[in-house]
Formats: sequence, C-alpha cells, structure tokens
Amino acid sequence: MMRIALPKGRNLEVALAAFRAAGLSLAGLDNGGRKLRMTLEEDGLEILLVKDWDVVLYVEYGIADCGVVGSDVLEETGADLLVPVRFKEGGSRMSLIGKSGTLPAPGAHIRLATKYPNTARRVLTERPWSAEVLKLHGSIELAPLLNLAEIALDIVQTGRTLVENDLDELETVADIMPCLVAGRAAYQRHRPTINDLVDRLEKAGTVF
Amino acid sequence: MKVTASLPTGVAAVFFEAARQRRRLETMLVDRLEAAGFGEVVLPVVDYLDPYEQMLSGRSRSELYRFIDRDGELLALRADFTPMLARLIAPRMASLELPLKLFYRGDVLRYQEARAGRERELYQVGGELLGLPGEDAEREALERFIDLLVHVTDQPVRVVVGIAGALDGLLLTHGGAQGAGALVAAVGRRERQIVRAVPALLDVVTSGAPRDPEALGEAAARRLVRVQAMIAALGERLSAPSPGSSSRPPVSLEVDLAEFADQALDPALRHLVGPRAYYDGLVFRAFVGRAGLPVGSGGRYDRLFQTLGGDDITAAGFSIGVDRLALGATPEDVPVPNGRTEGAA
Repeated sequence: MMRIALPKGRNLEVALAAFRAAGLSLAGLDNGGRKLRMTLEEDGLEILLVKDWDVVLYVEYGIADCGVVGSDVLEETGADLLVPVRFKEGGSRMSLIGKSGTLPAPGAHIRLATKYPNTARRVLTERPWSAEVLKLHGSIELAPLLNLAEIALDIVQTGRTLVENDLDELETVADIMPCLVAGRAAYQRHRPTINDLVDRLEKAGTVF
Repeated sequence: MKVTASLPTGVAAVFFEAARQRRRLETMLVDRLEAAGFGEVVLPVVDYLDPYEQMLSGRSRSELYRFIDRDGELLALRADFTPMLARLIAPRMASLELPLKLFYRGDVLRYQEARAGRERELYQVGGELLGLPGEDAEREALERFIDLLVHVTDQPVRVVVGIAGALDGLLLTHGGAQGAGALVAAVGRRERQIVRAVPALLDVVTSGAPRDPEALGEAAARRLVRVQAMIAALGERLSAPSPGSSSRPPVSLEVDLAEFADQALDPALRHLVGPRAYYDGLVFRAFVGRAGLPVGSGGRYDRLFQTLGGDDITAAGFSIGVDRLALGATPEDVPVPNGRTEGAA
C-alpha cells in the first residue's frame, strides 16, 4: 500500500480536489478530525497528515512514498525528490515586500526578514545589496512595518494582508505551486502505482 | 570548557546493538567477497589532493575535506575508494596478474549540506574488478553487487541500471549546450511538464528507457539493447530457485536511464556530472526495503584508470553503504505490497 504525506495547510484542499478529480474516492479520509494516519482501503492508500514543512522529511526518509508540498518548501529545503507534476490550483508567488514602494537603492546594506533564509541568500546573490538575512517563523509582514528589516521575502496569495498593513509587493521572485513529490527509492518500489496516479491527474487536467 | 557528548553534523557514534549489527553486516559482506576470490586492500584515509584534481567534477570537489598539513602539502580526506585504489594500482599494473579482484572497507568523508539522511561519514564495503574482458566486467560487478545484497538482507532489493552518456545525444539535440542543464535536472526529477515536448525523454522519465532505442542515437541504442539483454538474462538467473536456499529476498532489476541522467560523457555536458563523475559505462544503484536512499552503487570506469596512467583495461566496481544497508535491512511494519514476491525484470 502506498503511503502519501499530505500537508495540513493551504495545499491540502488543492491536493484532495485533484485526487478526487483523478478518480480517487478518498472514502475514509477524516479531514476535519484529529486522526493523523488513515487507511483508504478503496484507493489502496495510506494518508499521513503532517505539517507542510515536514512532508519533505517524511518522503526523503522513505517513511512516506509520496507527498504534496509547495515549491517554496522544496526550494528552501533543497530536497532531492522527484517532482513529476505540479498542481494547477493553489498557486501563489514569492515576493519581496516593503513599505517604501521601491526596492532599496543599489549598494545599500539592508536587513531582509523571511521564513526562507536559504532561498533569500540565493535571491540576494543576484541583487545589488549587501544584506543580513533574519529568519522569522511567522508574521513576516511586521518586520518591514516596524523597521526590523527594510524588506521581507514571503509568499503572497491575494495581497490582502499587504494592503491591510500598508505594504507593497516590490518584486515577484518566483511563482509557487503545490507539487506532487516522490522519494527516489519509493519511486522504484511503487513505479506503476505512482505513474498511474500521475497519468490520472494529467487526464483530469489538474496538473501541469 | 564543559565537555559534552555532541558530535559534528553528519557523523555518529555507534554503540552496542547497532555496532554489533554493523560489524555483523560488514563481516557477512567481507566473507562473501573473500569466498568469491576478492583480496583485501587497506587504503589510507588521507591522500595528496593533486592526483585527483584532473578528475574532480564541481560537485565532487565541493564534497572534499581539504587541508594543508604542516609540511605545506595540500591533502584531502578519503571521499571515495575507487579513484584512490585506481591511482595506486595503475602504475603497478605491469607487475600484477590480471584479472584482479579487490575489496576494501572503511569510512569515506564527504561534506554534504545538513539534510535528511545525508551523512558526512559513511562506512563502505566495496569491490573492484580489473582486467576482465569488456562487458563481462560490468556483468560480474553487477551480479556480485546483487549477490552481496541478497546475502545480507531479507528485504526486497531493487536495482536500477543505466548507461553513462546514454542520454547525451537526446539532451544536446533538444536542449543545446545551454539548455541541457535544465533538461538533465527535469529528467532526474522526472518532471513531465518540461520533457513532454520530447517523446523519447518522456518515455525515459516514465518507463526508464525510450520505446524506440534508436532515439538515443545508433551507438547508444545498440548499447541499450545489449544491456537490456544482459539484465534480462541476469534477472532470469536471479528468479530461478536457488539450490539449498529458500529465503532469498525478492530482487527487481530494471533499466532506468532517468535515474542516471547526470552521468554525462559528452564534453559539453561534463559540468553537469554528479559526484561520481568517473563512470563511463554501465552504472547501477540499489534500494533495499523502505530505506529512503540508495544503499549502494557501482559501474564501469575504464577511462579513470587510463587517466591515472593505467593500461587500457576494463575496470568496474561497486560499493555498499553498511549503515544505510543496516537501516534498509531491518524489516519494517510495512510489508511489500500484497506480500507478493517481485519477479526479476
């Protein structure tokens, strides 16, 4: 039985809708309850519900065979996973955010606040600033608002939070999408099942 | 300063039962190699960096622990047994009787980003075959590799086989020297969207090899057909009942060129090559049980041997990570799907 790690966060509904469209019944899935491990006999799947950031670990260690995770988390963790398809729904963007309306001037020394320090360092190698990267765990928008940092690097979905906090989206750095991922060893173990799932997702038109 | 029991990232001390299990696995592997006529070599853990400079890829260079000793010599900690063994054997070839079957055991040290399961110190047992005729060396290395794995585990063994450089033509034709890097990454990740426009690459991503081998070019196609025949024959032998042994674990053996997409040979693609940049023929990798990472790998590396001043002979070898094998060899609570025995490909 193949084991899939699904994220409890914003990508869960996207994944479940796509799986249903692909013909999975998902009968037995207790999405609103407290169960973290569920067997879906009809679909031949075991589902683990874990934090978005932990999906990668479960799949890399071979505890889960597949998972659904945002491309932001994949990029940040540098996980060596297979990424057969990306979901069409649930997209967002990773952007530089600030309150001045413009990016810092070339040569400026800045502080950048983010949940994604590795991604931020890569972004900064292509920018004309020297920067200190501040790792935060949440409420990233507060950092530029209260001058903890000149700019922030974070996920923007609708932009409403920015508007409500008088912040500007200064530059889009990357488009972010939920991805179906598989472990290299798991792929060899479940190749026909994983390829079948991917084929069905493609036929349903829910993935790129 | 207060003394703590903490160790640097990526290394571990192994105690008691775990240590006993590791030694037991090592002994089983070594006994099996000796019984097959392999002789042991004991290699130093530190060597000059200079002999290896010409063969380092960007990724293998970044793995090396390098330092200058008090004599001013630039040294490196052992990150791989095969090149060290090759450089020490190559100049002595004239005095050695071929074929040579050698084995080694010990630690390799490789810098890796702190990530899931990526140890910086790995304990390996491996073997090298020098001077067997042509593709016989590849077949024997692969067969010996599988024999060792099924000897020490009761968990399913999955071996994937590729050919270094097999995708070079396709990658260069459809990506050019500039775009090939993105294609290599996409094939390696089995990312369908990026390769969909090239049916042969889509076949590689989904099935391991193109439906029409000719898509690889004439030479690579011929080689693929020979490798497919070789592993089919080997698979038949592995699936045949073994006299006196009823507990052999299921073994699957398949060609999967996507798994080795970064093993390029074309000079225009050499900058994309992974850490084991010296393979130039058959390459293979094994997964055991539910271990998330490969437990061992190997392949043919004639050119490495010649680069180091050796004769024009066939060289092939393999290594097995004993700690990873110990993890994968342990039965888990999740059985093989439906408890079935997987037949060989």
